Amino acid sequence: MMQKIKIEIGEVIETIESFYKPKVWHFLTLNGVSLDANKLEVQWIFSRYEALDDIVIYYVEISYETLIPSITELIPSAIISQRELVDMFGVCVEGSEKGLYLDEDSMQKPLAGCSI
Amino acid sequence: MSKKTINIPLGSQHISLLEPVRFKFECENETIVGVDSDVGFVHRGVERACTTKFKYDTIGYVVARICGLCAITHSMSYTAGVEKLLEAQITQKAKYLRMLLLELDRIHSHMLCLSHTAESAGFEAMFMRIMGDREDVMQIQELLTGNRIQFDYVSIGGVNRDIDTLRAKEIALQLAKLQKKIYGYIEEFENNWSLSLKFKGVGGLSLEKAYMFNAIGPLARAAGLAIDVRNEIDYLPYKEIGFKMQTGSGGDIHARNTVRLNEILNSIEMCQNILEGLPEGEIFTKVKGKPQGETVVRYEAPRGELMYYIKGNKTAILERVRIKTPTFSCIPAFSDIFLNQSYADAPAILASFDPCLSCTAK
Repeated sequence: MMQKIKIEIGEVIETIESFYKPKVWHFLTLNGVSLDANKLEVQWIFSRYEALDDIVIYYVEISYETLIPSITELIPSAIISQRELVDMFGVCVEGSEKGLYLDEDSMQKPLAGCSI
Repeated sequence: MSKKTINIPLGSQHISLLEPVRFKFECENETIVGVDSDVGFVHRGVERACTTKFKYDTIGYVVARICGLCAITHSMSYTAGVEKLLEAQITQKAKYLRMLLLELDRIHSHMLCLSHTAESAGFEAMFMRIMGDREDVMQIQELLTGNRIQFDYVSIGGVNRDIDTLRAKEIALQLAKLQKKIYGYIEEFENNWSLSLKFKGVGGLSLEKAYMFNAIGPLARAAGLAIDVRNEIDYLPYKEIGFKMQTGSGGDIHARNTVRLNEILNSIEMCQNILEGLPEGEIFTKVKGKPQGETVVRYEAPRGELMYYIKGNKTAILERVRIKTPTFSCIPAFSDIFLNQSYADAPAILASFDPCLSCTAK
């Protein structure tokens, strides 16, 4: 079962802090979905340990200019998918540098607005 | 007085690496005290290509090209996602044949990792022995699918090639031979002096840290964290064919090797059960429609959980294909494991991670 819950950008930290229990929920990844040239859906995806396909997605709809809060204080391993999101969509995630995936001379933010 | 540190890179090209990745180690004498990683050397833009260049019914073959070692897991995950969106029902026989190839793939991938881990301990003969035996698995795969690596075996609605009695018998025979050899490896990895010296107590990950870094695959299971997607999905009947979760303790190189060896034995057992109880019927069901909506699909690749997020809009071109690969998820855990280890052990530790940069930088 996949559950998708919309939240506001200002509620991200508070929501994930109250939801995430490291021995119950497994953080899968951070995902971006381009909605149009200016708008992006950012998803935080979790699955429950040892449960049959129990997936929870928290998501926000934001513009590309919005600063996305970092969840690495709560989930240290999120740093890698935060940096991927920065490279692939050209967004700003608090404390996440660009350049993990893409070199300066390669195509930049390749997934920004590409699906439409 | 502050201690002096020196920076030593490992990669992007290094004798112990099969693919380009760079770890920059900050060392105090021989001890690693800081780690920085760079994984973006072979980015190929597959996710973008999936939503701009290819129609949904061909992407299963495109994503198989992400990685030679787990091609089947990529095409399987994508295909299962599309089948979910299209509400397609595939036959039991197709499901069994898919599991057969998935498990054969796991066997040869784990053998590759074990051979390189042995090589990193200076045990060249063991490396050659395992690689030689791995060749038998590659031949089984060729017998089943027609190809050794890029199988193109799975398609939306089922599989592309049936198996006859003669082939099934030959595969069962080869697997029985391999099973005996694996028991020999277990003996060797458990008791060989040089392998023990190099692997036991080296490169450990605690259970607490496995949870903290959301570790997956053999890396997590060796630390005692019971996470295996085969235990958490119902679109393939793994429980029917005898799946058993393999976990270890201590999370060191030796524990990772042991988990992989036990998983090979379990995979052989599952393959034998599939061949004995293969259901009758068609291998392919025609699927109509175009994908609409979104879904998350996961599969257990040899290195751990592989995730696909697929979003369709009822056209032939998908809106989004997100691929989260196992090695990618484990990079933070890898970096932590290196801390306080000797630099001289870094190649063996890295080999025991079984990293796949081809997948990571898709």
